Amino acid sequence: MSRLNVLLAGVGGQGLITLASVMAKAGVIEGTKVLVAETHGLSQRGGSVEVHVRFGRVESPLIPPGGAHVVVALEAIEALRSLKYMNHSTLVLVNRRVIRPNLPGVKAPSLEEILEELGKAGVKVLDIPATDLAIRAGSSLAANMVMLGALLATGALDGYISRGGVEKVLETMPPRWRRVNLEALRLGYGALRETEA
Amino acid sequence: MVLLGNEAIARGAIEAGIGWASAYPGTPSTEIVEALHRVAKQLGIHVEWSTNEKVAFEAAYAAAMAGVRSLTAMKHVGVNVAADPLMTSAYTGVEEGFVIVTADDPGMWSSQNEQDNRWYGLHAFIPVFEPYSPTEAKDLAREVFEFSSRMKHPAFLRTTTRVSHTRGPVTLSEPRKPLATGSFRKQPERWTIVPAHARVLRRRMLERWEKIGEEVERFPFNRVERHGTEVAVIASGIAYGHVIDALEELGVRDQVTVLKLATTVPAPRKLILDVLSSHKRVLVVEELEPIIEWEAKRIAYEERLDTEIHGKDYVPRVGELTLHRVASAIAEYLGLGGVPWRPVDHEPKVKPPPRPPTLCPGCPHRGLFYALRRAVNRAGVKPIYSGDIGCYSLAVLPPFRMQDTMIEMGGSVGLANGFAHVDREKIPVATIGDSTFFHAGIPGLINAVYNRSPMLVVVLDNRVTAMTGHQPHPGTGFYPTGEPAPVVSIENVARGVGIEYVETVDPFNLEETEKAVQGALDHIRRTGKPAVVVSKRACTLLVDAAARRKGVEAPLYTVDQDKCTGCGICYNAFSCPAISPINGGKAAIDPTLCTGCGVCVQVCPHDAIVLERPGDPEWEKLWF
Repeated sequence: MSRLNVLLAGVGGQGLITLASVMAKAGVIEGTKVLVAETHGLSQRGGSVEVHVRFGRVESPLIPPGGAHVVVALEAIEALRSLKYMNHSTLVLVNRRVIRPNLPGVKAPSLEEILEELGKAGVKVLDIPATDLAIRAGSSLAANMVMLGALLATGALDGYISRGGVEKVLETMPPRWRRVNLEALRLGYGALRETEA
Repeated sequence: MVLLGNEAIARGAIEAGIGWASAYPGTPSTEIVEALHRVAKQLGIHVEWSTNEKVAFEAAYAAAMAGVRSLTAMKHVGVNVAADPLMTSAYTGVEEGFVIVTADDPGMWSSQNEQDNRWYGLHAFIPVFEPYSPTEAKDLAREVFEFSSRMKHPAFLRTTTRVSHTRGPVTLSEPRKPLATGSFRKQPERWTIVPAHARVLRRRMLERWEKIGEEVERFPFNRVERHGTEVAVIASGIAYGHVIDALEELGVRDQVTVLKLATTVPAPRKLILDVLSSHKRVLVVEELEPIIEWEAKRIAYEERLDTEIHGKDYVPRVGELTLHRVASAIAEYLGLGGVPWRPVDHEPKVKPPPRPPTLCPGCPHRGLFYALRRAVNRAGVKPIYSGDIGCYSLAVLPPFRMQDTMIEMGGSVGLANGFAHVDREKIPVATIGDSTFFHAGIPGLINAVYNRSPMLVVVLDNRVTAMTGHQPHPGTGFYPTGEPAPVVSIENVARGVGIEYVETVDPFNLEETEKAVQGALDHIRRTGKPAVVVSKRACTLLVDAAARRKGVEAPLYTVDQDKCTGCGICYNAFSCPAISPINGGKAAIDPTLCTGCGVCVQVCPHDAIVLERPGDPEWEKLWF
């Protein structure tokens, strides 16, 4: 079917809306319809955030449970929380980072436990050290672009948006961010190639 | 280009040639007027953040009385604040287009209720228009201005969260030249609502309402997509998008007629009648209340039709609609045996712990609540924490649990007035933000002075309307453009209305804050009169952003692992998100999250938190 559902998951403040917005703008450049459903306001403050990105012949902005072709998680616990959106052919990209929920007495599962659970669920998981690579690119906030680079490298977005389109969008950012984001995108693209090799 | 639904509405308003826009920020409506602020100067139009929705409404209403196309935008509950002038605006009508955007929040993503403001349209005789996507929102906004101008009658543009906060492709058209100034023509029989005038105006309004009912029959954004004569679905707003994709995914798009409605109040009677009378069964899919469904049933009754009409018996009334919920409802209605999506069948042993929204690292509210609780405990006061709407609402969660009531904007001060007199064993402690104080807190404070309510009002002044994305307000000292603005001082307002005890504290200084609160509680007990403490520190996110922009480094703190005993005060009782337990419960600070506020140093009883890297001397100067 000529549509692609990409669910972005993470913690408020990690740059999910920016990530989705870059994908949507790349869509316009390449003539692909993109709808992005976001979460703002109260639900954003350091809490779980889901952003739905739908490409192709779509009129509803929301991805149904079991309907995600791809899940991109900027934080590992949030990947596990997104399990309901996954089906057996979903591709899951996980940032190798766990952020402990800010509640007294909460014990956060480890990255290894989370990856093991996702493995048991039978989905295809690629884990990427996105925050480390983002710091190398110049800012931990660029982990979103590392993940986008990795996602482009998987080929999952082929036919919808391309690396060239995304780079064109990043070129329009203020100079300080342009450099960091382009580098982050490049590192993410390369990292995935290494993981898969 | 790609626009957020709200930005698309702003663009539609610009294309319609508006000369005025006023609003009070509120999720999910904020980005409409925020977007207009960015181009106000260039277009030469007036755009303002008003102190509350009532003032925003009145000011925009006046512009339309004087012949200037105007827009006001608010979240659904904001319309409650503006309801007084709203209810009379249809009586007087307007001289030029006047569009009220109501952004409803089904699912209560950022709200206290999920009221369906289409009721307001029925209640106030104001037509309601609903876009289903950002693409349509732009064109519909423009068209609604034309409609309102033509009818000389106010109009609602109603969105829901998933229209306002969906980004999608929008094609721009040439804007009309904006007209920012007008001329008010005196017509006391129209603009002054004394009973003798109002009786005449009500009849005229009902005549206009008839005419509006005829107009919506040919409104270009309603349409019938005809497929057979067996089943039809009627859908309005975002529900239309879900219905189209659901029919596609279920493989029945070419077997079901769809009536897409953009005008829900008044509903286009003939159009609905046509669909009802040409199909055996009709399902109405709409978010929240069964407004179209009841209208359809009324029409069927009046026309003696035996068409089967369903709606809320299949489509959920609670919560927002989703593609999944709509597809499930249609599958059940058509007997299709379920939806086509199959989630993984795996019950994880490791459960993701809940992650509710939280006060940010470095949030000045965290220091305030920490010190406030200590002061209240030390004074032996039994508090009622009368809460309010803003980032500080998050203190409802552990570890603070310091919002015992929370109803609506400004409600903290109003409720405290009641508690103060009926529950004499306790002292009400109202916590209210700076923007919320200006919005609706002041009348309650005056009431407390006049009626001698023994209560404490703590104003959490973080110098901005933070929750909705940092809009300036009358206390901030600047406009959205960054230009300087007059400052209304919260302390002066409090003193001016007769509060005798007014203290300003820095919530990053816990000792000073505790002392001021204790002083206030003493004053209340001694005199039986209200007291005010203003907790003043800018929102960390603003300072953080400024620091990044200017390349100024913040201080960084770290935990001396030899001194840390793992008591957990910093990550549990103080609950800074930048601090987490590591092996054996000892604390560790995440350098990517630490903002350098240094309050944890004061919290640690073992002096285990130390400065790792001092900040740039410029950093201190960024705070305001």
